[in-house]
Amino acid sequence: MTMRWTLLALAIGACLLLGLTVGEHWINPFSPVDALEKTILWDLRFPRLLTAFAVGGLLALAGAWFQVLLGNPLAEPYVLGVAGSASAGAVSGLMFMPESAWLMSVGAFAGAWIGIVAVMFFAHLGPNRMLLAGVVLAAFWSAVLALLLALLPEQGLFRAFAWMMGDLSHSDLPISVLLLAWSIALACGLILSRALDKLLLGERHAEALGLDVKRLRQRLLLLASAVTALAVTAAGTIGFVGLVIPHLMRLLFGSLHRAVLPASAIGGGLLLVLADSAARTVIAPAELPVGILTAIIGVPVFLFLLLRRA
Amino acid sequence: MSCLLELSNLTVTRGGRTLLSGLGCSINAGDVVVVLGPNGAGKSSLLLALAGLIPADGSIELLGRPLSTYDRKELSRSIAWQGELPPTEFGLTVRQRLELAAGEAGGEIETSAAAMDVVSLLQRPLGELSSGERQRTELAALILRDAPVWLLDEPTSHLDLKHQIHCIHIMKEQRAKGRAIVTVLHDLQQAMAIADHLILIDGRGGAEYGEAKQLFTGKRLSHLFDATVIKQGSVLVPDYGEK
Repeated sequence: MTMRWTLLALAIGACLLLGLTVGEHWINPFSPVDALEKTILWDLRFPRLLTAFAVGGLLALAGAWFQVLLGNPLAEPYVLGVAGSASAGAVSGLMFMPESAWLMSVGAFAGAWIGIVAVMFFAHLGPNRMLLAGVVLAAFWSAVLALLLALLPEQGLFRAFAWMMGDLSHSDLPISVLLLAWSIALACGLILSRALDKLLLGERHAEALGLDVKRLRQRLLLLASAVTALAVTAAGTIGFVGLVIPHLMRLLFGSLHRAVLPASAIGGGLLLVLADSAARTVIAPAELPVGILTAIIGVPVFLFLLLRRA
Repeated sequence: MSCLLELSNLTVTRGGRTLLSGLGCSINAGDVVVVLGPNGAGKSSLLLALAGLIPADGSIELLGRPLSTYDRKELSRSIAWQGELPPTEFGLTVRQRLELAAGEAGGEIETSAAAMDVVSLLQRPLGELSSGERQRTELAALILRDAPVWLLDEPTSHLDLKHQIHCIHIMKEQRAKGRAIVTVLHDLQQAMAIADHLILIDGRGGAEYGEAKQLFTGKRLSHLFDATVIKQGSVLVPDYGEK
């Protein structure tokens, strides 16, 4: 187990170095040749890498929490419709000011929270009905999004689609905010880790072990939703990370959350760093939406580990 | 003997249906109470109510204090409830499950695992166990809990004969240590082997408490289960008819 943690720690360094090196212009991060390369390295690539790391980590943490909260291994950060409502909010922002990234982010954040509040009305019904309500709400938000896209002026369409597939190039949130959120989310997760482990046994058994399940579910729903809202606001809707990284980390580090959560916070970050590095390199100078790359990189790795474990 | 659980005029209702009403009894340290009744009568619900896991009308006092005044953590220190573990998809191992049960009580995992014959299963995920192995794991988890009251919901239903006997022996050991045990059983032989008192729940809202030797009659059990129970020698057995 120590070996796996060491490898994960080494992977942080390797991924960050790779992310600094690759791109439209390949640069040796240890010896940039001129001021331009220095600027590209430290003013453009490094902040973007940190954003990718924090967003990926937040999505993976939210995914791990939603899976336990809903008792469903297929749950992920967007399962309750937050991605749809955030997207509808972002596109609403674009409708008013097609060139404004700022208004789009505000719209996404507001949309995410409207989606969260809508789901909260159903939280008291228990995990299964809340999940059902979330899936139905997701369908509703998809319809609203489709309507808004149909009405969106043409100049906003490309921007909207890029955002909906994940876009780290226009994040307006300060990196310090994202890294602070990553740290706080991980700390909260670690504080709750023993309670989350108990919840894996099912509601009754967790209560019999002294857990106030209702209070934990409320806290977890709020925490996971807030983290999702922040991640979506920073980088649009990036799929796959929140679904598969927690499972991947369970395969590697076991089921206990004191290991799963830090491993997911790091693993999710690393996957998004890798995906973003690839997204801005493979068809440079153009960029691919990062959400495509997360799946292309992550799916084979996950399936390989799943087969090996079986 | 000190009274650990005191029930008076207890009524358990679920889904708008009254499962049992007017139940009253005192359950003392070192007492084994077996709950008998047909399927769906409310036996498991009674245990859930006693564990504070579902609401009930009437009064339940635990160690002289109303159950409703306990918070969940306090309750978990005084009452250990064992029910069937729902399927879990997240790869928790038997050892991890036992560690969660040990918690603050700090019971010895190896000892309880050995007591229920699950040492060889410690590294196995719960999802890969047979029903019997899961039940043994849950019983091992129960042993780790240092609670004066045990509530067991059909603890032997999936066990093979060896482990059924073992489970009954463990209940006897725990009774000797002064634990109060309330257990749902379907096997009349097991009930006769262990019960000091019985709670009979008839499935029509009625519940009766009394000494085992008084309630354990063919007539009462036949009426309770709407099936024929006959006496063979000194034991009561279901009448399966001729071979």
